[in-house]
Formats: sequence, structure tokens, C-alpha cells
Amino acid sequence: MKQTLTLLLLCLVMIAASAQQKADILVSYDSTFPTKQGKETTFQMSLLASATEAKYFNDLSLWVDSLKSTPEGKAKYMEIFKKACMTVEPDGTVSFDLTKGPVKKTYTYVFTNIAQETTTYYGKFGEDLGYYTEPISEIRWEMVDDSTANILGYECMMAESDYHGRHWKAWFTPEIPMPFGPWKLHGLPGMILKAEANGGFTFVARGLERTDRAITPMYMQNDYAKVDRKKALSDAEHYVNNAEAIMNAQGQSVKIYQIDDSGNKVEVPKYDGLKHSIEPDYKMR
Amino acid sequence: MVRRIITSLIFPMLALWCQAQTAVSGSVLDKGTNEPVAGASVIVKGTDGKIKKFATTDAQGKFAMAPASTTAGGRLEVNMMGYARQSLLLDSIEIPVIIFLEAGTIQLKEVAVKADRIRQQGDTITYNVGSFAQQQDRSIGDVLKRMPGIDVAKSGKIQYQGEDINKFYIEGSDLLGGKYGIATNGINHDDVGAVEVMENHQPMQVLSGISFSDKAAINLKLKNKAKATWTFHGDAAGGYAWQPEGAVWDAELFAIAVMPSFQNITTFRTNNTGENLSSSGTDFFADRRETGLTRYVSIDLPGVPSLSDKRTLFNRSFLVSTNSLWKFGSGEFKTNIDYSFNRVTADARNITTYFLDNGNRVVTENRSGTEHTHSLSGKFIYELNHKTAYINNTLRTNIDWDDVDLTTTGSIPSGQSARLPDYYLSNKFKMIKRFRGSHLVTFQSTNEWESLPQTLTLDMAGDNGTAISEHISDHAFYTHESAAYAFTLKGITVSLEAGIKGYLRSMDSDVSGLSDLSYMSDNFTNIVNTDYVTVYATPKLEYWVRRVNLTLNLPVSYAHYTFNKAIANRDEAYFSPSFSLNWKPNNRFSGALRSGIGRAPMNLNLIHPGLIMTNYRTLKAGTEEFYNSSSQNLTANVNYKHTRSGLFANGMVMQTWSHVPYTMAQQLYEDYVVYSYADARNDSKTFMAMGNIGKTLDFMRGSCNVNGSFNRNESHMLSESQTVNSVSRSWSIGGKINGSPARWLSFDYAIDFANSQLVMNSTRNSWLSQMTNELDLTIIPYRKWQLTVSGEHYRNELTEGNYKNMFMLDTKITYQLNRRIELAASLTNVLDTRSYNYTTYSQLSSYESQRQLRGRQLLFSITLRK
Repeated sequence: MKQTLTLLLLCLVMIAASAQQKADILVSYDSTFPTKQGKETTFQMSLLASATEAKYFNDLSLWVDSLKSTPEGKAKYMEIFKKACMTVEPDGTVSFDLTKGPVKKTYTYVFTNIAQETTTYYGKFGEDLGYYTEPISEIRWEMVDDSTANILGYECMMAESDYHGRHWKAWFTPEIPMPFGPWKLHGLPGMILKAEANGGFTFVARGLERTDRAITPMYMQNDYAKVDRKKALSDAEHYVNNAEAIMNAQGQSVKIYQIDDSGNKVEVPKYDGLKHSIEPDYKMR
Repeated sequence: MVRRIITSLIFPMLALWCQAQTAVSGSVLDKGTNEPVAGASVIVKGTDGKIKKFATTDAQGKFAMAPASTTAGGRLEVNMMGYARQSLLLDSIEIPVIIFLEAGTIQLKEVAVKADRIRQQGDTITYNVGSFAQQQDRSIGDVLKRMPGIDVAKSGKIQYQGEDINKFYIEGSDLLGGKYGIATNGINHDDVGAVEVMENHQPMQVLSGISFSDKAAINLKLKNKAKATWTFHGDAAGGYAWQPEGAVWDAELFAIAVMPSFQNITTFRTNNTGENLSSSGTDFFADRRETGLTRYVSIDLPGVPSLSDKRTLFNRSFLVSTNSLWKFGSGEFKTNIDYSFNRVTADARNITTYFLDNGNRVVTENRSGTEHTHSLSGKFIYELNHKTAYINNTLRTNIDWDDVDLTTTGSIPSGQSARLPDYYLSNKFKMIKRFRGSHLVTFQSTNEWESLPQTLTLDMAGDNGTAISEHISDHAFYTHESAAYAFTLKGITVSLEAGIKGYLRSMDSDVSGLSDLSYMSDNFTNIVNTDYVTVYATPKLEYWVRRVNLTLNLPVSYAHYTFNKAIANRDEAYFSPSFSLNWKPNNRFSGALRSGIGRAPMNLNLIHPGLIMTNYRTLKAGTEEFYNSSSQNLTANVNYKHTRSGLFANGMVMQTWSHVPYTMAQQLYEDYVVYSYADARNDSKTFMAMGNIGKTLDFMRGSCNVNGSFNRNESHMLSESQTVNSVSRSWSIGGKINGSPARWLSFDYAIDFANSQLVMNSTRNSWLSQMTNELDLTIIPYRKWQLTVSGEHYRNELTEGNYKNMFMLDTKITYQLNRRIELAASLTNVLDTRSYNYTTYSQLSSYESQRQLRGRQLLFSITLRK
């Protein structure tokens, strides 16, 4: 009996330990990519990394998801959200400005696991949440000599690779011997502090620090369906470019437009994976 | 172990022929446990140190690399967080190789930029302290100065977007009230996680949603390590100064505790190095004392040149302050007890040479003064602050002893000394109750008492050694009781406050030893009472519509003044309406318009039938009439901020008009100047404009700021059928920039330029300018060392085209022994510039001014932290 208990306890401890690995360092990146409107947009992303695992995410999204993952948290989130967005004038009128609230702006999470030799991507494709897994060996880097950079005080070397339809250059530092980096970029003998690809896609580290934050597993994993990456990307493109028709076919009556700098209503520009997707290989023959 | 493997592998080394094109593979194990190490990075480096091939170990600790073109002389390196690096000569290993890693550490250079530097959530703007702090910063006050949108004046007063803040909180509690300088100068920036600015902050919860506030409050969010514990730090420094010659010291002890139901800050500071401690002792939220007493006697120490305090202040200062806050239920009790002592000396030497036909006449004046200031104050507050009720009782006492001694030697010698104690006691009670959602009742009771005795003693060595002495005693009691009722209906808040104010004041003065001045007046004695009773009512209307707040204030009062026959008793009615409009269309922009007209009684201290001596040269005669003055004002301001890009801007224009029916006249009786008041129409108008733009500079973790101002004052005075028109204009422009462009370097640079001109009856004086440049460079050659070099340049225009240039250089070396101990040595005024002398010429005379500056100073210090 005692043995069983001990075993059970051990199992529990192991589960807890495997589920909540502590990270060693936290790197913050600016992730920049082109928008449909012909501008560029930047998100602040974070990478928590231990020796064998890494998680790439947005802090606000993580906070929102962690709250929403429990019923009490969800209630609390709604309360915070309401407080932030709602203005009650003394005359009793209530107005909502949703831009003031803590809203998830990006859905991307990437988990990289050396022991399992996989990278798992969680994200939103059109209106659907989905995930897929790739072997970590999918990127094959080539070293480029004589191309070094100093990023945040770290001496970095450069390597190149073609990956899912774009040509990537990555600057990594052997001073931080961890084979991780932003997004799905990994597999170099040092932390990737900067990466750029043709088409205006860049990741640049803005800071890094030692941490003992836990690398928590994906919240609300059950909401994500397993998808085929290329199919999901091409479905998402179809959804974005036909959102109006899709919504109207569902019995709504909507007209989607965008307001330009001078205040005029204009057509929403089309999404073109070749230009706007970080992985345009789904459109290539 | 490794060596053993290598030794055992010497044999296969003979087989070097196969190394030229060999695939490298093997496994990595933990030396302690023999377990495989996953995720280790394995690199093949060429002789040039470049990475030729690389791999990462898998879950079994295994790795494999494609053949490298050449491996001769190359190395195999294995790196892993938590382990010491392993580096092996490629030629010396057998494939597959087994590599053992030993536990060890890898140094990380941390660059902590995690969150945005500035964030906004609703009305709260959060500044990330770590992202604004530079190496050389110590206190949170040093970092506040770098945050765009926040301005810390030289006095220590904090403004946000051009407006004074209305509360300073630490973890949401208002421990210090207006003496927040104790916190900004004392709290280590490393203990503060974030600074929050709460816009439109209404400190009284009971008024939230009912009464609008256009002020902002600041809240310090401490890091967890500084919470629920006592945190201490102390500095001790000693050294030698060349002028004033002798030993110098500078010491500080600071303790802070922030617990859920208890807070305390206790600090002790002393120095004689020219550091002004007044920013730690000033109450920036202090209300005007309604007792309204002002000193008649005024002996000023000689003025100092317009250079920074630390160059001109000859001081011995001491300050101790202890502040506690206890929370129980929804109420809190606070005590603030402070004592400070300040001894300041100043010397001046002026030489005036008159060029006369029969030879030059030289008049020399040496002035040497000492001022002692002691101040003891206590404040005891009970406050209950929740959504339906607010109660506050504040008991305050202040005791000051100020002594000034001023000796003049030279052509006209004299000695004067003044004893100027001040005793003050007040109690303020306020209660607000909210019921049925939008109805408010307020009761207030204020009682204040003050006594301000003044003694002036003159020793006129020139006037056959007569000693003149004057004694003034001045007491006042003020009481104010009021009640108010307010209710809100459909966005309109209507309130009516009514109350009664009573004021009793008696002043008497007497001068002895002035017998030979009977030609001026025979009345050097006063016994005056200036009392009044006022009843008043203030209807107030506040209207909220969408994002606009309109407020209209319509105070009317009736006052009865009695003056004990000094002048005739008076009855007066006053009406001073004011109006304000605040508009905040979105989170980024806000604007306000304020306007008011007012009528106010004169300063009652001007009423005294006899002459009062204010110093050895001047006397004051009181008015013989009761005057009222009137004024109008109009102010507009706009604010803009874009927190994501760290941009803050504000601008303000103001126009005021004032009409005073009397003017001060001066008459000369031999060596004496007598000031009196006479009927005269004195109209003046002032225009003021200022602007400020601040921006973060993220590429170098810095920020910059540009500000400008313009002032124009025009006054028109009609006195005894003579008209005097005067116009003064001044403008200034300044800029600041700071940052850390490289890991080993950070800098602060500030420039200010000011220009002013006075035109009197269309006689133009020339524009006079003043420019100051300041540059601080901090170099960190090695992690634990820090070197700061600062330079200041002043360019003061004395007369047109005649400039006085000053250059000051300071250095400091800091060595961080460990996390708790820091050692430093500083050398200020390296060039040992000891005087500020200049001479100006007019057609008939020359004027030479000589002032002393603090000379070179060497200081060794030790800082301890817990």
C-alpha cells in the first residue's frame, strides 16, 4: 500500500515536473511583418527557454488565455475588460471603447521540445483555432562566414536557410548555448537574437533576462484542432478574402470596408499569401 | 575524467590520415550522473575560430555532423546552460566521442527590456522603471526626471503634463502627503517596478463620478522583494574641501517598510557639501495658511550668482523624518514627524568706484551673513475613504526658529541680527457622506492659530555706536465652519456650500534707540487689531456631457472688518465667479479652458499707523485706507500623448489682468528709505505661453525633452499725475537628452537659454541672456567600475555684450564591491574655481562684485544596502 502511494506520489511529482518546467531565460523580440494595407506592423513577443524546451508567445495573449482557462478567471477577465472599456457618464449613458481593453491581438504560440524533437504551432487560421507539429530538423542552416553582428552586447554569427518559401538569415550567439529562437526558427548552436526574411519579415531581440518563470503548457488546448499546415493557411487566405460573402451566406447582412487616412471608406485590400504570409510555400507549385 | 579519455585516445591519433574528411558524432553525458544531456550545442570550430559545423544533442545526448572540409587544428566545443564549456582539439578525439560536461555557469549579459517602456490602460499610464534607469541613477527621483510627460523641478516638485500632481502614493497608500521628496530622494529605483500616473485622479472616492478632477496622481509600484519587509540603505561620506577649507561630510540613512496594513519611511540626512535638503522637507501640497501672517522684518543673506546650488551653498544641514501609516478596517491613521536644521552662510564684496573730477571715490562693502533655521513639524491624520463616506481629520503643528545675522564692513559698517520664530497649530476636519447614490452632504471645520514674534537688533557702528532694537508680536486665530449639499441629476451636479469665517489678529510693535529719527515720524509704536467676520455661499454647477466637463463656481461673500480705530471699519461684499471647461475627446488628447474674475481685499498686514523697521536701511509705513484689488484671468491648455511611441506634449497660454488702486511709494530720509502706500491706479496685464515636448528614445534606452516659454508683463501706473509704463519681456528655451548608446556608456545633456528685457517709459534696456550647458558622462569600463565625468558651462550676460563664462568639472569613481556594498570617490570642482567676480562699467562709475564659490572637494563614500 505504502509502495503504491509512493509510486503514485512519484508519478504526480513527475507529471507536475514535466508539465511545469522552469525556464532559464526570457528573450523579448519585436516581430515585424507587412500588412495587407502595405504598411508594416510590429508585435512584442517573448521566448521562454530552458535547456530543452522553449515557448514563444505574446505576453498579453498569455495573460488573457491563462485567465480565461478557468471559470473564475474568465469572470475576472470579463470584469477587467468591462472596467477598462466602459465609460459611465454621470448622466447614466454607457459607452464602450473596445480598443481600451486587454484584447488578444495575436494568437501565435510555438512550443519547441528537444527531447520530443518537435515544434508545435498553435494559432488562428481564419476563424478556426488549430495546431500542427513539425519535426525540429525541418530547418537546415548553413553558416555564413564573415557576417557577424552585435545584438544587445552579444557577438552574433549568421546562418542562412530556406524555410517554407522564404529565405531566412539568422544571427545567433554561441554565448547563449540554446538552440532556440523566435517563432519556429531554431536549431542553431546559440540563441537566435535576430532573423530576417525576404518580404519584410523580421525578428529582433529587444532584451533578455534570467528568469525562473514556468514554461506552462498551452492553455485551453482542447479548443485547437489538429490541422494540415498548408491547407489551413490556404483556407485562412480564402476566409480573409471572402469574409463578407461567407458571413452573408450565413444569413447576416454585412459590408466590410476600411477607413483610409483621409476618412474615406475604401475596399479592403486583398490578402496575398505570397506577399503577406510568413510561410508562402502553400501557394507555390 | 576528460583528460583520461584524451590520454586513452592518444593511440588512435596516429591514424590522423582519416581526420581530413571525417563525420563527427558522439554523445554528451553529465559528469556527475552519467545521464545523457539533451539540447547541448556542439560546434566544430576552424583554426580561425569560426563555426564550421554544428549540431544539437537529442534526447539520448547523441549528435552527429556531416563531414567538415578540414579539421586540422580545429576544435570541438560543447556548450550547455548550467554546464562549463568543454573544448577539445579535434585531432585528439576518437569518433564517436563521449564528452562529459561538468556543472558550471555561463554568464548572461542581461538587458532587461521585457515590457513596453510606457503602457496605458484606461486612465492609468505605467512607466517601466528599469527601462528608464541609467547606471549612475540612485533614487527613484533620478529616474522620474527621465520619463517623458513627467517633470521634476529643481525644488523637487513633480508635474505631469505641465500640471502639479495632487497625490503621491506608495503601493496605493498616501504615506507622505506633500512631503513626497523624502520618497523620491530616498527610495532606491531598483526597488520600484513601475511608476503609475493616474490621470483625472479624484482622491476622495466618495466624489468619483460626481466631481471632476483635472489633476494626476503618481503611484510607485514596488517590486516584490521590497514589499512586506524592511528595506534599508545608508551612505556615509567624508572628505576634504579647499573652500570653505576643512572637513566635509555627507551621510544618509533610509529605511522603508511596506506591509499590507503598515507603512513606514524613516530617513536621516546630513551634509555640509552644498547639497540642499529642502526638497526632502517641503510640503508640496501645503495649503496657504489662512492666518495670513507675514514677516515684517526681512534681512536677506547676500545673493548668490545664478549657478547651481551645489556651487554656491555654504551649508551645514541636518534632517530627520519619520512617517508611519496604519490601516484598520477602511480607515487609516498617519503620523509625519520631521525635524530639520540648516545653517547657511554667504559673503559678498562689492566695490563701487565713482570717477570724479577731483579723483576717484571708492566705496567698499563687505557683507557677511549667517542664517540658522530649525524646524519641527508634526502631522497627525485620520482618514476614512470609501465609496459612501469620507472623513479626514488633520492636526498639524509647526515650530520654526530662524535667526539671521548679517554684518557689513567697509565704508558704511553695520551689524544686524533678527530672531524670527514661528509657532503654528491647526486642525482641519472634513466629512462627506454620499447617500441615495447621488446626494452628498459635507461638513468642514478648520481652526488655525499662529504666532510670529520678530526681533531685529541693529548695531550701527558708524552712528556713534547706537544700538537699535525692534520687537514685533503678531498673533492670529482663524476659524472656518461650513456645510455643503450636492446632488447629481442627469449629468448635472449642483452644490451649495455655505459657511462662516472668523479672524482675530493682533499685532504690536515697538522700536527703541531711534531717538534721533524724529524728523521722519514720531510714531514707531503700533497696537493694531485686524479682525473680520465673513459669511459666504458658493453655488457650484458641474455639467458632464459626453467627454466634456463644465464647471461654474459662483462664490458670494459678505465681510465685516474692524480695525480698532487704526483705520475706519468696513463692510464689503465680494463676488468672484469662475468657469472651467475640460474636454477629453479621446485617450490621447485633452484640452481645458479656465476663466475667472475676482475681487479681493488687500493684505491686512499693511494696516499699521506707526512705522515698522524691516532692516537697517528700510522702514515701512502702513496704509491709511482700505483697498480692494480686482483681477481677471483666462487660461487655455492642451495635452497630447501617444504612449506607445512615448510621446508627450503640452502647451499652455494664460492672460491675466489686475487692477490695484494703490502703489508703493518710496521716500529717502538721509540713509533711510521709507516705503508707504498711496492712491494710484495701477493696471497690469501679463501674458504667458509655454510648451513642452518629451519623447522616449528607445534605440538608446533614453529620452529627450524640449521646452520653451514666453512672458510679457505690461504695467501702467498713474501716480500723482505722473504715468509710468513698463514692459518686461522674457523668453526661454531648453532641451534635455539622455541615453545609453552603448553598454559601457550613458550620458545626460541639458541646455537652457533665457533672454529678458525691460522697457520703461519707452526707454529700452538691452536684452540680457543667460545660457547653461550641462553634460554628464558615465563610463562603465568593467562591470563593477563606473566613472562619471560632468561638466557645466554658464554664460551669463552682465551688461549688453559683456559675458561672464564659468566652467565647472566634476568626477566620480564608483566600485561595486558586491550587491550590498558600493565604494565611491568623487572630486568636485576639479579646476578649483573659487570665486565669481565681475565688473560692470557705466559712464561715471564702475561696480565690482565678488562672490565666493565652493572650491575643490574630495569625498570618499561607502553605500550599504539591505
